[in-house]
Amino acid sequence: MKSYRLVFFLLILGLYSGLLLVAQEEPTPQGRTFVTALPTSTVVVSPGGRTPVQFTFRVQNPYHINSNQPTSEELIPTQLHFSLPGEVAIGKMQYPAGKLMSFPFDPNVKLSVYSGDFVVRGVVVAPTQASTGTYTIHAELKYQACDNNSCYPPKKLPFTFNVKVGTRSAGVKKARPTATSPHIHN
Amino acid sequence: MNRNVIFVLCVVVGITALLLVGKRTSKQPESASASVTGGQQPAAAPVQGAGDPPKGSMAPAFELKSIPEGKNISLASLRGKAVLLNFWATWCGPCKIEMPWLVDLQKKYGPEGLQIVGVAMDDTDDKDIADFAHKMGVNYMVLKGSEKVGDLYGGVDRLPLTYFVDRSGKVVDEIVGLHSASDIEESVKKTLEQAKSN
Repeated sequence: MKSYRLVFFLLILGLYSGLLLVAQEEPTPQGRTFVTALPTSTVVVSPGGRTPVQFTFRVQNPYHINSNQPTSEELIPTQLHFSLPGEVAIGKMQYPAGKLMSFPFDPNVKLSVYSGDFVVRGVVVAPTQASTGTYTIHAELKYQACDNNSCYPPKKLPFTFNVKVGTRSAGVKKARPTATSPHIHN
Repeated sequence: MNRNVIFVLCVVVGITALLLVGKRTSKQPESASASVTGGQQPAAAPVQGAGDPPKGSMAPAFELKSIPEGKNISLASLRGKAVLLNFWATWCGPCKIEMPWLVDLQKKYGPEGLQIVGVAMDDTDDKDIADFAHKMGVNYMVLKGSEKVGDLYGGVDRLPLTYFVDRSGKVVDEIVGLHSASDIEESVKKTLEQAKSN
């Protein structure tokens, strides 16, 4: 009887050890998060109007990503892309200037990078004939991250935000008539 | 019965402690005493990722197109050579740092049977890769990588990634990320030595 209990306890021991090893495993590379998008408030714009919008992103420590204007043509720039319904356009994209930094893998070269939080600004424009309603805009940030030792393949961070096309209110500017229609910056 | 339980519990705690210590020890860099070369700090060696071909196993077979020649080259055709298989990309800063070191190693150890193979994991045109390699003075084989081959080698989700394959086709060593030139040279020597002892 005692030997059966001993065997039982040893089996439990083996199971426990196995579970411990599994729990100790490194996270899979696919689970690594480089950049997250902070929530964007609903943008309210009236037909024929325009409203500024800003998108805030957070680059996780210890990574950095190339800025929108990297210092070398081989480097992959950070860019924001949108899938837009006909009722709205987004233009005048303004990316922040990157921080010029050198890294241990090449202390002699400065790279233009984003790290920590950074904000990309734009203007949402609704044509005069835009239908009222709330539209969910699908966007993605294309970026390429590195740390002090390695670089990771380019990635796309999908996110969404809402644009409410409504009647003109006090907080919404009316667009001045222009000869050309609003254009989309990608 | 109580004595049995206490005994087994002590064994459980003891083995758990050993497992934890062993796991932590296995994460230490293989070359913690690596020297610094050219002002670069040696990077810590990350643990071998899940899915990477383990040391001692046969390196996964593949066939890729050479750049700029456009010929199909198989890993099997390099059997008999000690192969340094280096996954890189034109957008990878640390990769650019180690390329001149690889050029030097190819010159130095090529006569002893070393063949360096650079597998470019870019999406860009072959011509852009070829121009980049030419600009960097690359004197070793360059192949156009693919996601499929990357998957065979654990996903290749960080660069540079280097495998050392002996003459019989077995994986001898792996370096993830940028290491010092001396670390890489040590692994080359180990691979050539392995080839001799096989």
